[in-house]
Parts: sequence; C-alpha cells; structure tokens
Amino acid sequence: MSTTWLPCGVYHQNYVQDHAWWQTKFIKGKMILLFIILFVVIPLVADSYWLSVCNSIGYTILGALGVQLLIGYCGQLTLGHAAFIAVGAYTSTLLTLEFPWPKIMMDYGIAYPVSILIAAVTAGIWSVLFGLPSARVKGFYLILTTMAAQFITVDFIITGYVSRIGGRGQAFSLPPGTIKVGPWVIDSDLKVYFMMLVFVILCVIIMGNLLRSRVGRAWVAIRDNDISAEVMGINVVKYKLLAFFVAGFIGGIAGAFWISNLAAVSPEHFPWFWSLWLVGVILIGGVGSIHGTIFGSIFMVVVMEVLQLAIMPLADIYPKLLMDFLFIKEAVFGLAICLFMIFEPNGLAYRWWQIKNFFNLWPFSY
Amino acid sequence: MELFLMAITTGVMVGSIYALVALGWVLIYKCSGVLNLAMGEMTLIGAYVSLSFYSMGIPFLLALLFSLIIGLILGILTERIFLDKLIGKPVLTVIMVTVGLSFFFKGMVELIWGTDTRVFTPPVFSIEPIHIGPVIVGQAYLWSFVAAIILLIVFVCFFKYTRWGLAMQATADDEMAALSLGVSARFVYAASWAIAFMAAGVGGTLLGNINGLNISVGYLGLLVLPAVVLGGLNSIPGAIVGGIAIGILQNLCGTYLDKYFLGGVKEVAPFVFMVIFLLFKPHGLWGWERIERV
Repeated sequence: MSTTWLPCGVYHQNYVQDHAWWQTKFIKGKMILLFIILFVVIPLVADSYWLSVCNSIGYTILGALGVQLLIGYCGQLTLGHAAFIAVGAYTSTLLTLEFPWPKIMMDYGIAYPVSILIAAVTAGIWSVLFGLPSARVKGFYLILTTMAAQFITVDFIITGYVSRIGGRGQAFSLPPGTIKVGPWVIDSDLKVYFMMLVFVILCVIIMGNLLRSRVGRAWVAIRDNDISAEVMGINVVKYKLLAFFVAGFIGGIAGAFWISNLAAVSPEHFPWFWSLWLVGVILIGGVGSIHGTIFGSIFMVVVMEVLQLAIMPLADIYPKLLMDFLFIKEAVFGLAICLFMIFEPNGLAYRWWQIKNFFNLWPFSY
Repeated sequence: MELFLMAITTGVMVGSIYALVALGWVLIYKCSGVLNLAMGEMTLIGAYVSLSFYSMGIPFLLALLFSLIIGLILGILTERIFLDKLIGKPVLTVIMVTVGLSFFFKGMVELIWGTDTRVFTPPVFSIEPIHIGPVIVGQAYLWSFVAAIILLIVFVCFFKYTRWGLAMQATADDEMAALSLGVSARFVYAASWAIAFMAAGVGGTLLGNINGLNISVGYLGLLVLPAVVLGGLNSIPGAIVGGIAIGILQNLCGTYLDKYFLGGVKEVAPFVFMVIFLLFKPHGLWGWERIERV
C-alpha cells in the first residue's frame, strides 16, 4: 500500500518531513482529539462492561502487533504466537508470586513492572529459539515449526511442568492485591484500562519507530524478496531473528499485562485457537499496516460482543444457545476470515486508506 | 522385546490411517497447490457423519459408503464455494482460508453433534484381541489397518489406470501442459478436494472406532502435517511412508518415554521430531527441491 496523498498545498522538502509522525495540522488535531477521547471521554462515559470490552481490544492489539510484525513486515508466517504470550504471562505470574522480592520493592509496587520487563525479554528469547528454523526454512514449513512451538510450549511444557511449580495443580490463582504498579493496586477495570492504554501506545510507538529505521527497512526488504535482500547486503538471518525477538517481546508484554485482568492463569487461556485468532485479526485489519492491526482488533472484538448481545435475548427461548455460543463464535470467526480473504483481501486498512485519500484530494480527486 | 514388537505393530496400524489422510492432503497440494490446514476437521466431519448413520441402525459398511458420498459432495462444494475464487492468490491468503474453513467446520460439528465423546454402539469390531505370534493386537486396529491398506491400493490404482486419475496426475505434473491437452483444471481441483474429503472421512471413522469419537480426533487429523513433511509435500509414496513412520514414532514414544515425563509425550513427539527433521532436510525424503531465483 503506497503512502497517502497529501492535501493541496503541502509539500515535503526532506526525508525528515516525509517520515514525520503527524504531518499536517489536521492530523495533529485529529490525533489530539483521539487522545482526549481515549484518556478522558471513555473512562468517564463507559461502564464496567464496555471498559472490559476495551481491555480485551487492547490485549488483542498487543498480541496482534507481534504477529503483524512477523507476517506483515518481515514475511515470516507464524501460527504459534499464543505460546509467546503464554511465556510472558507465566514468567510474570511466577516472578510476582514466587520470587522473594525485597519487602521495599513489594511495598512500592516495583515487583510487577520489573516482572513485566523480564517476562518480555524471556518471551523474546523463547521466540528467537523457535525462530531459529527460519534460517533454513520459510513459508509453509515455518508455519509448521511455529505451530510446533505452540504445542511444545503450551500443551507440553506449561501444562505438564510449569503449572506444577509450588504444588499447584492447574491454575495459578492471583489473589486480589498482588498486582501493584507503584502506589496503585490494579483491581478495577478502569485501572487496567489505563495500563492497557499506556502499553498499547508504547508498543505502537516502538514498532512505528523501528519500522522507519534501518531495521524496519531491512525487514520489509526480507519480506519482499529475501534473496535480493541478501544480495543487497542485509544479514537475513540476523534480521529475521531480530524480528522474532521483537515480536516475542511485544507478545510477552501482552501476556504480562493480561494477568492483571485475570483472577487465575491457566493454560486454557492460551490455546492454539488464540494464535489463529491473532492471525485472523491482522488479516481482517490489513497485512502490513499498524493501524490495520488496531482496526482488526476492534472489529473482531466488537463483532463478537454484538453477536453475543444479539444471541442473549434468543437464549430465553432456546436455552441451548447459551451453551453453544462458543461454537457459533468459532464458526462465525472462520466464515469471517474466509469471506474477508475472498472479497476484501486488503483488509480494513485499505478502505481507511481510500477514505483518507478521498478527503485529502477532495474536491479534485483526479 | 514383545513390548517393542507390539508398539511397532500398533504403530504401523494406526500409521496406516494417518497415511490414508496424508494421501488426501498431498493430493490437494499436488493438484491445486493449496496447503490445507483443515484436514483435521475434515476427518471429524466424515467420522461424525458415519457415526450418525451407524447409530440409525444402518450396517457399518453401508454407513461408511454414505459418509463417502457425503464427503464427495462436501468436498466439491467446499472447493467450488471457497477455494475456486482463490486460484493464483498468495500462499498466506489460501492457507488462512483453510484455517477459516477449519474453524467453520469445527464450530458446525460442535453445534450439531456436541462435544461429548461418542462411541459406535454396538461396537463395530469385537473387543477380543487377536494373537499373531507373540504380538497381541486389538481387532479394531487390525481391521482399520486392512481397510486403510485396501483404500490406499484403490486410490493408487485410480491414479494409475483410470482416465480421471491420469488427468489429475497430468495436472499435478505440469498444469499448463495439461490444460493445453484438454484437461479441465477446475474439474481436477474439485476432484482432489472430493477425494481428500473421502479419505479423511474414512480415516476419521477408523480412528473413532479405536478411541471413541470427540473433538480430539481432529487433533489426530493434524498429525498428517508431520507425516507429509517427513515424506515431502508432493510425494504420494512419501505420504504413505511418512504416515506409517509417524504412527510408529508416536507409539514408541508412548511406550518408552511416557514414564520419564509427566504425560503428553505422545501428542508432542511428532511435532518435536518434525521441527528437528526440518532443520536437516527441509524438503522431506522425496519432496521436490525448488531452485529459487530472484
């Protein structure tokens, strides 16, 4: 997807202007409005239910950003990203619950933020481990190895071994008050919401900045044609592994963030379905664009919520529907992916691009 | 020693079922270039359909035949509705459509038949084990093996001696040449999906007879992926050998390694093996090695 057209009378004279974040006054105003809505209006207006919907949108965005980086920008197909999210979540949980933190760190709520950082790095390294085959294989074979990452990590190591640490059977329960950031105990949807906003904005900025640097251009070159990228002097293996690291890092942040919203962490939170869901999200949103990830996440989560709201009244008449909702959700998700791939292969981001161009060039759209 | 022999025998017999499903997978890939991740759900559908017919009181072989016919219809429909529009699209698009299909199928199966484990009642094969020399084999395993081998032979003969089979071989070999000789590529695509659906259905029915039928049979259908990677993506003998090898590997690991781990070795072993194998031989035993050019 090429860049958007600039409005009449706006010229770029150097590369710095070309790559700036907010290029015109209009965009600046629009973004400030967006921030006001996110930080002020939604917390004031939304009730607990809609805040939790927002939180799951944020979690989906954080998870899908890594997938977007791997598939959309580096061309490394992955179907096992939930494994890295699980690694992040479990590392953070274990560190918060089991690690003998000095009392002063617990009191000031440093333990959880530090554990997020460690979790992210661990997930990144774990991801590099399973990215190693990408040095030799690509395309469909890489899908298989990342799939294996999912089965090995979640179904074998975490279910069989990690879950047993500390004599627990299945799930790690997180007692209220365990998750503390600075002076605040994260115990309500509102606090999770603000934490989610911070993480999403941080990760989007990190990814955006990486993508407009040398690293990002190397990734795009590898995606477009890895042989010619190698000919141009890019160390393909190094950059592929770097992409896996960054993707795993963001996945780890997603996992470590999400435990603040859960009462207990168990392997069922990170099934293979979730990996496929994330890939579906970026395909529906648009491959190769960050705002595509965001659109896709919003679309999928909201559609599922609306579906649930639509089915609830029917459940009084057919009580079986309530039980079957999970299956309906699966079927609808599958069908949505198929239809999007067939009829709208460029995703929602492409429509957004068209709308932006239409207004930038209006009224002379030729 | 007896334990070893038994693990091998059971492995070969279960592996022959995997081989049957893997054959269907390879067929789709060879003929239309689609990398199909919905194979597990296709086994599920076939298995549930034949179970439904069987519980209506229809004899087992007839029920199997009906499920073959339904598999044929569903295969053609799937190809015509979804895959036909995707010819020439990027790999990821096509793979994700098959992933979408797998969700769709799975949701539908759960919606229609529920998630409880169902068994074929009355049991199709008697529970009496059979003694072959020192080895004891369950009858379900033995008959599944026989059925899978018969079907494999039927499919191989179909490709070698019938007009349609030859047309499919020609398309797999060189699509452009086949088109110029008057082979209808669309027919071949539809036929490959139909055959894959049928093979998967029979495989699922046999697997369901062994362990009872629930959603996890779909996971067993996923084991075709290590099998085809081992054999090479576009080799039919490779699929058969790979399927049997994965069956043996799974049973050996289950027999010998299970006591050292906390369970789940049987499920994970094929995938671990696949990753290691890919690092050394990315194109499998008999797959084509494509030379890449810029």
